[in-house]
Amino acid sequence: MIAQQILNGLVVGSVYALFALGFTLIFGVHHILNMAHGAVFMWGAFFGLFAVTRLDLPFPLGFVIAIVLAGLLSVALDWVAFRPLRKRGAPEFSAIISSIGASLVLMNIAQRVSDTRVLRYPFGTLPVGIYTLFGLRMTLIQALMVVSAFVIVSALFVYLFYTRFGRQIRAVAVNERTATLLGVNPDFVYFQTFFISGALAGAAGVLIGIAFNSVHFLMGDPYMLRAFVVIVLGGLGSIMGALIAGLLLGLVQTLTIAYVSSGLSDAIIFSILFVALLLRPTGFFGSLRKERRVARE
Amino acid sequence: MAALSLAGVSRRFGGVQAVKDLSMTVGPGRITGLIGPNGAGKTTVVNLITGLLKLTAGSIRLDDRDIHQLPPHQVARLGVARTFQNVRLLKEASVLDNIVAGCRQEEAVPLYAQALGLPAMRHARAASIVRAHALMADLGMCQYAAHLASELSYGYQRRVEIMRALALDPTVLLLDEPVAGMNDTEAEELGRIFRKLAARGIAILLIEHNMRFVMALCDEIYVVATGELIDHGAPDKVRANPRVIEAYLGGEAC
Amino acid sequence: MTDFVVGYLPLVNLVILNCGLALSQYAVLRAGVFSLATAGLASIGAYTAGILILRAGVPAPVAVLGGALTAMIVAFILSLPLARLRGVFQAIATVAMVQIILSVALYADDITGGANGLNGIPRLVGTPALVLFIGTCIYGLWCLGRGRVGAAFDTIRQDETVAVSLGISVGRYQALAFALSGVIAGATGALMACHNHSVVPEEFGFDMLTAVLAYVVLGGRQSVAGPIVGAVILSLLPEIARPLADNRMILLGTLIMLAIIYLPHGIVDSIVIARRRAASAPAAHASVPEAADGRA
Repeated sequence: MIAQQILNGLVVGSVYALFALGFTLIFGVHHILNMAHGAVFMWGAFFGLFAVTRLDLPFPLGFVIAIVLAGLLSVALDWVAFRPLRKRGAPEFSAIISSIGASLVLMNIAQRVSDTRVLRYPFGTLPVGIYTLFGLRMTLIQALMVVSAFVIVSALFVYLFYTRFGRQIRAVAVNERTATLLGVNPDFVYFQTFFISGALAGAAGVLIGIAFNSVHFLMGDPYMLRAFVVIVLGGLGSIMGALIAGLLLGLVQTLTIAYVSSGLSDAIIFSILFVALLLRPTGFFGSLRKERRVARE
Repeated sequence: MAALSLAGVSRRFGGVQAVKDLSMTVGPGRITGLIGPNGAGKTTVVNLITGLLKLTAGSIRLDDRDIHQLPPHQVARLGVARTFQNVRLLKEASVLDNIVAGCRQEEAVPLYAQALGLPAMRHARAASIVRAHALMADLGMCQYAAHLASELSYGYQRRVEIMRALALDPTVLLLDEPVAGMNDTEAEELGRIFRKLAARGIAILLIEHNMRFVMALCDEIYVVATGELIDHGAPDKVRANPRVIEAYLGGEAC
Repeated sequence: MTDFVVGYLPLVNLVILNCGLALSQYAVLRAGVFSLATAGLASIGAYTAGILILRAGVPAPVAVLGGALTAMIVAFILSLPLARLRGVFQAIATVAMVQIILSVALYADDITGGANGLNGIPRLVGTPALVLFIGTCIYGLWCLGRGRVGAAFDTIRQDETVAVSLGISVGRYQALAFALSGVIAGATGALMACHNHSVVPEEFGFDMLTAVLAYVVLGGRQSVAGPIVGAVILSLLPEIARPLADNRMILLGTLIMLAIIYLPHGIVDSIVIARRRAASAPAAHASVPEAADGRA
């Protein structure tokens, strides 16, 4: 039934949105295309799993710990991969390459740690629950995904637009140099944005890990590709855009798999991306950074 | 040889009228100055002439040909060369490489001949290098051919930029603040070079803040302020115009 | 002695093929085009060649030519819409294109063999053919590189505004860069099909994309020697560092980061620049010759 598929699509989309938000935050504020974002997402899933399987912690606590650890991992990533480039004033190309290298390192470490196996949560980590809402089925996990995403995104929104720190972040997004001259500490802003970005990715990772009960070192790749689609359609650096585009993408993907063909869903999604890049590379929504040089005038 | 003429040229940026109804001509063999206080729109004019910006009104003609509709690389190919306000050289390339970047002898050679390294390509390449060396000799910089461009002094970097512009064999040369940051001696040297180029028939448009330099060198001067032309004529006439003095010293009290 | 040499031929062949891919990536990066499409273009060449050989029984040269031309056409077509994009957006668009090709390859399994790919391709090329191929590519790119094309590419890459002010048509040269990248990647992919007995979609995915980028980042993107040096080093690395074999990706990732942070121009270009700097050392700070009154 199409309504059910729409619901499923929105659930998936809410996690896409969560993932893409972290990605677009870094790009919007610092103009860095962090190709290691998928690896942080993947490590978030690992942290969540290990908290439950190795430290015997209850899932909610593991969830929170994973989010914090993923945030810290992201900050460490910035320190190692991006900060030296900033010091040098390197072009944006360099940051992308560096993040690709970092991603390889992070993924390979995960591969060794997991012995190239797919890891799973022990049975009974989360109670099985199915809710019926207006004749539509929603599992506990689906509800968890949607609620978590909603809570986290709302918190981010409040942080960015209603706190002093958030204002500093937005100032840096407009112009880092000027913001620094006005007294904003750029290092602290980088710490915040990378922590938040990592936390968002980690949260998404844990949710996906438990939703599909599958945690493995390659799980980040398909999400990175999806994130490209989301941020291009939504506009690089646009929070609203990442949200809406993420939800839309979840919808399109679920409906395509259900009603067209699962084999072609990828091709269709990337064709949409391609066309979007040609027609409107800056996306369909506003942006944290107003001026963006995307194409020749 | 060509004359460059602007007629009623205007350019808006959103709500800002950067250039308004500007008309001027740059004649061959003459050095024409374009001066005005900061923000008067001088560099905008250069960008409009070279095609980097599109006009919102008016026309720009090279000889008898409209060029304002052309893409910038076409304008350059027709013989309009320029230097930049902040020297833009290829930092990690040699001086020779920088100048050769402007040499177009090899474009006549078909691509397959270039890829196969056929004699035609080698001859054209040699011709480019000869031309680059000739330009260096002209400006007294032969011994710097292999030097890294970023290792040169500022004044010499300017010269390399000028040589690169000349490699295009231009009929019009747009110089955007070429002696900024130079002392009088260096500026004089460069002025002598510009005179030499004008004597060969090139139409030179000189944008500068260094008043002494401009007054001494230019055959005629256009003065712009807030995008509009406020005076035009020989240096002596312009220098004495109270409106010009007012524009520079800010006659309107805030 | 011959046994020793013969024992290493498979490695030599692998290195040559990687060099081909590296040269394809180099061609676009030198022109400032941030295209990551080499893997996708190589897969097009490989599938074209494989299909031509298996279904039409053509000889190797025809298959390679077919693969190269098909990839070149695709690359050229790709360049047209991409002409308006810059930097990050070009990269994303080319990655999207690679993904589309991969998906189509997996989906159209009656033509491409789907996930299993094409198998049972006879080995039609050996080391001599590969050496001839790479030699031709290096020579051609070297000739173009030291001439107008190379100068235009370098200028566009470093300062597009300057390039345009010198009469260089950015669109035209970037389209050329795409076409070169396509023809070399297509030929390399076709040769891979003719040499590896099979064409498998996984081979042309993200791993290849990353490796190819690494070759050029490590070696340099201006001199032709750059991608070659990068490809040789990174291809031989797993062989040299056998104990590290399991940690290959960690090593590769670390090398990429170290290279871009500390040697951003790549090994070869850094050497070239250092030599130029040394050549500039004498008279480096000479200013205008002193005026008669001694003021400098």
